[in-house]
Amino acid sequence: MTQRTLLILILLSLLGLGASVNAEPVVVVNAASAVKQLSQDEVINIFLGRYRRLPTGESAIPIDQPEGSPLRAEFYRKLVNKDLNEINAYWSRLIFSGRTSPPLQAANLANVMSLLTGSASSIGYLDRSQVDKRFRIVLEFPP
Amino acid sequence: MKVIARKFRPILFPSLRKSLAICVLTGISLGGPSPSWAIDNEVLPELPDISLHGFGTLGITRSNNDNAQFIRDLTQPQGAGAQWTAKVDSVLGVQANVRFSPRTEAVLQAVTRYHGNESYQPELTWAFLKHDFSPDFSLRGGRLGTEFYMLGDSRLVGYSNLSVRPPPDFYGTLVFSYIDGVDVSATLPVASGLLKSKLFAGQSPEKTTFAPDLLWNLQGSTLVGGYVDYLSGPWQVRLSHAQVRFELESPLDAAVQAGSNPLSGVPYLSLVPEMAMANRLSHFSSIGLVYDQGPLNVQFMLNQIRHDSPAYADSRAGYLMAAYRLGALTPYLGVSRSLSILEALPTSASALVDAVTKVLAARRYTDQHTYTMGGRWDVQKSLALKAQVDWIRGQPSSVFLFKNRQAGWDGNMTVVSLALDFVF
Repeated sequence: MTQRTLLILILLSLLGLGASVNAEPVVVVNAASAVKQLSQDEVINIFLGRYRRLPTGESAIPIDQPEGSPLRAEFYRKLVNKDLNEINAYWSRLIFSGRTSPPLQAANLANVMSLLTGSASSIGYLDRSQVDKRFRIVLEFPP
Repeated sequence: MKVIARKFRPILFPSLRKSLAICVLTGISLGGPSPSWAIDNEVLPELPDISLHGFGTLGITRSNNDNAQFIRDLTQPQGAGAQWTAKVDSVLGVQANVRFSPRTEAVLQAVTRYHGNESYQPELTWAFLKHDFSPDFSLRGGRLGTEFYMLGDSRLVGYSNLSVRPPPDFYGTLVFSYIDGVDVSATLPVASGLLKSKLFAGQSPEKTTFAPDLLWNLQGSTLVGGYVDYLSGPWQVRLSHAQVRFELESPLDAAVQAGSNPLSGVPYLSLVPEMAMANRLSHFSSIGLVYDQGPLNVQFMLNQIRHDSPAYADSRAGYLMAAYRLGALTPYLGVSRSLSILEALPTSASALVDAVTKVLAARRYTDQHTYTMGGRWDVQKSLALKAQVDWIRGQPSSVFLFKNRQAGWDGNMTVVSLALDFVF
């Protein structure tokens, strides 16, 4: 390995690129929720504000990971194959035409978790390694 | 390289992302009480929750000739000639959202842009209260955006659109942006997709440019319409219809007299009352199809406008636009068309009056294609730079979508535009 290649690798890992490649988002709800499973279309409808109703009939409250989180970029890439600029442009259209609001945005991972455990209507995404018994996985993306 | 570019941007501009995160994506106020995220089991921010947002475009436009001026829509009294101008596309909008409860929200929006009376006078574009009775059913009342065509109520928000401006062949004749009224929207899951519909009704509070120094007051005109959408996977299809009943007469008499005054001051409409617009209906029908799958976005729309008055010829328009995202760059190609349908004009006992009728009707005629090529570069979060060229190829008689036409006009024009779009 040349010095230059090494430098690039160090830079990339400092920029968090390594972490984003390894992020594996799974869609989760509160373990107490009656929702057992959701289809990808249902999750798209909830997170893109098209139709926010859970199969149980309750309103769904989607929770986004913080801005800049590699998990967030990976989630939208897996969900709709869009980058975050496109998601941002999508929400600009809806916000400035006075329609649906975007998902609630947590300030950090701990907030994501407390928002999820705090309400049976909440729906979010976590890295698979962060899922514990407080949460139920309702959608996994194909690798 | 594509992947690296995509991953780099969020990390290089964390502070900008953060500020937008706060003000656009969550609805937490910029200067208000701090959010209560730290409290466990507290799902929603404190209420009432005020958030401020904004959008804008800094755009410059020029064409290759001064035989006519290129405009974005008919509300603009002047447009772009062979000199660069910022008039056509520049816009600034600010919006406040006030959330009173998880289901009730008020939205206020003001926009300044170049429009009627040669002014940038700000307009209150939205001022409504929205209530979601359920995830399936919402009601809004107050001053609302009109959605005659798909994407019609966000046509000033450059950042949310692919091209510099929505194709003028299709959207340029639309002079209605908002109404004072109500709308209801409903959503129903059907098969694997969603059926969405909206109905709106209200009165126009707007004025539009009629001739260079003349405004047509649209106040009191009744607008009623609705649409049905079906969304399934990457597809969205919409059928929509709207109609307008004009309350006040267009300033046609004044326009005739301000010109060469061929009738020596006799009001034209007293001689040809058929050309009146007041109390007449205009009907706008359209179909829209969007395919949005990953990096590929394709839009196809068709419309038909029917005017009960012969003062405006019926018309058809359509466009097809396709874009493909390559990392931060999104090149796009489009073609659009607008065509007036000639109809019999009212006649009178006087050849002179009939000649005036012919001239007036000819001012509303369009028959042209526009070929568009451009690119969008998402420079950083909430900031996009666009460059676009439009080649307009039309008949010399195609004049409706231009201003200040000169004798040398041959129906052809090339328009170059640069735009910086932002949201905050």
